[in-house]
Amino acid sequence: MTVVVLEEDSTITMATARAPTASDSTHSDNSSSNPSGGGAEGGGDDVPDNSNFECNICLDTAKDAVISMCGHLFCWPCLHQWLETRPNHQTCPVCKAAISRDKVIPLYGRGSGNQQDPRDKLPPRPSGQRTEPEPQGGFMPGLGLGEAGGFQFHFGIGAFPFGIFTTFNNWGGAAAVPPAPGTQQYQEERFLSQVLMAMGLLFLFWLIFV
Amino acid sequence: MANIAIQRIKREFKEVIKSDEAQKCAINVELVGDDYRELRGEIAGPPDTPYEGATFQLEIKVPETYPFNPPKVKFVTKIWHPNISSVTGAICLDILKDQWAAAMTLRTVLLSLQALLAAAEPDDPQDAVVAKQFKENHSLFLQTAQYWSHVHAGVPKGNSEFAKKVRCLQDMGVGEHQALVALSSCNWDVDRAIEQLFS
Ligand SMILES: [Zn+2]
Ligand SMILES: [Zn+2]
Repeated sequence: MTVVVLEEDSTITMATARAPTASDSTHSDNSSSNPSGGGAEGGGDDVPDNSNFECNICLDTAKDAVISMCGHLFCWPCLHQWLETRPNHQTCPVCKAAISRDKVIPLYGRGSGNQQDPRDKLPPRPSGQRTEPEPQGGFMPGLGLGEAGGFQFHFGIGAFPFGIFTTFNNWGGAAAVPPAPGTQQYQEERFLSQVLMAMGLLFLFWLIFV
Repeated sequence: MANIAIQRIKREFKEVIKSDEAQKCAINVELVGDDYRELRGEIAGPPDTPYEGATFQLEIKVPETYPFNPPKVKFVTKIWHPNISSVTGAICLDILKDQWAAAMTLRTVLLSLQALLAAAEPDDPQDAVVAKQFKENHSLFLQTAQYWSHVHAGVPKGNSEFAKKVRCLQDMGVGEHQALVALSSCNWDVDRAIEQLFS
C-alpha cells in the first residue's frame, strides 16, 4: 500500500544536501523581497521546461502516467494514493471533477528512457481497454468445414440456415473472438457446430427428396 | 517525512519565491528550521479592505502525508476577521479542510487566504463574536479590523478614539491586547468591557 516511500537514506541525503540553500534563502527573505536565493538555486535542478508533462500531484515528470476524463495528468501511484486518501469523495485534484480508478486512461509512450517495467511497482496501474474490431468476412471462424461446401450450402438454401448459423455463433461464442484450439470451449463449439451442420444437411435432403 | 512531501515543498517554496505576487511583496514564505516541516508564510492585506497595508505572518505545518492532506495553517499575527479566531489564529477555510485538493500549492493557499481577507464568510464563522459584529454593525467591524491591523500588523495609522479607550483600560492594569479584545468584542463600550474584564 505504501506508494512512493523511497529508502530512508536517499531522503536524508536529499534533505541535508538542501540545507545550505535553505538557510541562504531564509536570510535573503528577511531582507524583504530579495529573490537572489531563489534565483541561485533555480539553476541547480531545473530541468528544461517540460511542465506540460508534470504530474499534478508530485509536480515531477509523470511516471506510469494516467490521464483523467477531465484531461489532467498524474503518476498512477500519486493518483492512487489520492483516491485512497478519500475513498468516499473521489475528485480530480486539479478541477474537482468526479474521478475514479476505472475512468482513467494509462498513457503509454515509447518508454525508451525508462528501463524499469512499471508493472513491477505497486499499485498496478489500471490497464488500457481494448475492443476487438468486428470480425471481417467469414461467419464461421475456425470451424474447419469444407470451404466450398459451406458456401454452396448457404447460398443454395437461402436465408433460413444462414440465420441459424449466425445465431448459433453468437450464442455459443459470446465474444467475437474464436476460442483457442484445444480448450474445452473450442471442443464444445466444434461439436455443436457439427451437430448443427448435420441438421442442416438433413433439412437439405428433406427439401430435395420429399 | 515522505519523499514526495519534501520534494513538493521544495518546489512550491521556489514557486512562491519566484511568483509575481512575491515580487510585489503580496505573499512570501520562509523556512523555519531546515527540514521543510514548518514554514513561515506572509501575506499582505488586500487593498480596499481594513487590512490594507498590513502584513500577516502565518504558521504553516506540513504533515507527513502532504500533499494528500492539507498543510496546517494558522495566523500568528493577531487579526480581527469572522473566519479567523481572534484568540488562537485558527482559520476556517474549506480548502484547508475537506475541500483540499492535492494539486493545490503553498502559493494557492496563500492567495486563497488573501482572498479570504477580502471576502469574509460570516455565515461560516470561526470567531462568533467577530461574525456577529460583522453582520450587525459592519462599519464598527471595519474600524475594529483596521485598528487591529494598526496595533498588530504594522499599519502606521489607527483610530485615536480607540487608542484612548485602550489606554484607559491599560491604566486600570489590563494588558494592551487583553484590553483590545475586551473593547472589540463589546463594540468599544468601555463600561461593558470593564464589566467583562472584572466580573
Ligand atoms: Zn506524481
Ligand atoms: Zn481534472
